[in-house]
Amino acid sequence: MQLKKWIQTILISGSVLALTACTTHRNTDQTDVAGANSAYGADGAQSSGAGDETRFGDQANGNRSGRVYYFAYDSNVVNDSDKPAIGANADYLVAHPHAKVMLEGNTDPRGSREYNIGLGERRAQAVAEILAQKGVNPKQIRIVSYGAEKLASAGRTESDYQKDRRVVLVYLQR
Amino acid sequence: MRKLLHFCFFIFFLLPLSAHAVITMELTRGVAGAIPITISPFAVTGNEPTQDVSAIIGTDLQNSGRFKLVSSNGNNTVTGKIKSVGDDRYQVSFQMFDAYKGKDTAVLGRTYTISGNQLRAVSHHISDLIYEQITGVRGVFSTKLAYVVVQRGVGEMARYILEVADQDGYNPRPLLNSSEPIMSPSWSPNGKQIAYVSFENKQAAIYLEDVATGGRRLLSQFPGINNAPAWSPDGRKLALVLSKSGSPNIYIMDLGSRALKQITHDYYINTEPDWSPDGRSLLFTSNRGGGVQIYQVNLASGAVSRVSYDGDYNARGSYTSDGNHIAMIHRSSGVYNIAILDLDTGTTRVLSGKAVDSASPSVAPNNSMILYDTLSGGRSVLGMVSSDGRVQLILPARNGEAQDPAWSPYLG
Repeated sequence: MQLKKWIQTILISGSVLALTACTTHRNTDQTDVAGANSAYGADGAQSSGAGDETRFGDQANGNRSGRVYYFAYDSNVVNDSDKPAIGANADYLVAHPHAKVMLEGNTDPRGSREYNIGLGERRAQAVAEILAQKGVNPKQIRIVSYGAEKLASAGRTESDYQKDRRVVLVYLQR
Repeated sequence: MRKLLHFCFFIFFLLPLSAHAVITMELTRGVAGAIPITISPFAVTGNEPTQDVSAIIGTDLQNSGRFKLVSSNGNNTVTGKIKSVGDDRYQVSFQMFDAYKGKDTAVLGRTYTISGNQLRAVSHHISDLIYEQITGVRGVFSTKLAYVVVQRGVGEMARYILEVADQDGYNPRPLLNSSEPIMSPSWSPNGKQIAYVSFENKQAAIYLEDVATGGRRLLSQFPGINNAPAWSPDGRKLALVLSKSGSPNIYIMDLGSRALKQITHDYYINTEPDWSPDGRSLLFTSNRGGGVQIYQVNLASGAVSRVSYDGDYNARGSYTSDGNHIAMIHRSSGVYNIAILDLDTGTTRVLSGKAVDSASPSVAPNNSMILYDTLSGGRSVLGMVSSDGRVQLILPARNGEAQDPAWSPYLG
């Protein structure tokens, strides 16, 4: 029985490792991301935030609406119910090669701030993965993780935390 | 309505006491066996000084939790004089007497000639001397705190301000005021610079800023994460986190050459590097073991070992200056607390001990206290807890919510 469990563990770990290797292969190609980043040229070391973009309140009708995708606690798994909306955005991006999106990863405020930066990035990467799988050029996708630094809700209850755990898809260029 | 009442309470309660403090300290738990000390009001000759020196000393010592202010008790007594000696200049002198040597022989005494804007600084310096004389430990009353203030305005727009204040919350000065997040301030070992993360360019970037002049330079802005800066003990290197490899890994940047050395090389979340006092290893947080735990990497050999074992979430480890303890975030029963791990015995002790979440622990340079952020009345405030857990203070900010603090090294 013990041996069987070990074999199971090895097989599962092996396949997890293989999957990890598969999913991260795409992410290690940073040249495209660098290309996407350089298009946004920062204004040097200025501390003021530039422009405004439509963010959370944008619940417009249409297939490309639903640009906020929520996540379960400590999870970076995209909800099945969000996939159609993400797919609609992917279709738009494929049809408009000059369009660019920013995926902003966020977490709820519990725990370590810097670990939450890592979690937020994982969530944004999960959405980016779906876009890329649908044929979107990585040069059109930019990722930033705000961790818990841009909370959607000032409250500190479970329902507030649910609103915080999100990826926001913002069009930087249409 | 509640927010309005809360705001009014702050104004009413704090305004008369702290005309220049934006952060105020409130002692919530003191030590039962605190040392009694009498601070007599200093005798003033000439112009009335603009700061109450003896009151500042008394507040310093009381807020350390280790002293209890009493009227004359025959034990430790501090007396002093302030004489105006010119245009906004004062001669400040003090003496301390104890029960053993009696009233005729001062065990401690000094005289300083200063300008009016140095009255608070000399008061804190006197507190340091008294503290060290009695406890044998160097005082931290002349150190500073860096922290981020968040002002949540109407309609989603927030303001983020990186501030530096005296250890008692007075004289806050903004180092950066931004409409985008600021996080993870880290003091250089000589206290002259602060490294921090700013999102002002709509992406994470690490800046170094000179505390005195405000001059700054951009240090790191690679694609992805540029976070968690941590100065080496010799001030020559910065450990940081970059995700340009595809996931967050620890790097060390040489500040002279800007050369990068990659320290972790995997696809986990690796973050929050903290240098050992001897500069030979780093602590870091990682989920490589399944949960969130603190690990240590030997910089010469690259060998990684796990440091935290209690519970399934331990993060943001930082050493005390003797290298024997680690302050950290430790989750137990679903609450994130500040805890201290004794490296000799392997035991974890929770210090913040409340039902609300806490984070961002920063150890005082004399190891006596840990500064952190926590919630009070639903708002983020700074807190301080002694390393034995017995003394607790909260430091709410009057101009917003305070978070992500860093205690300066000894200064000057």
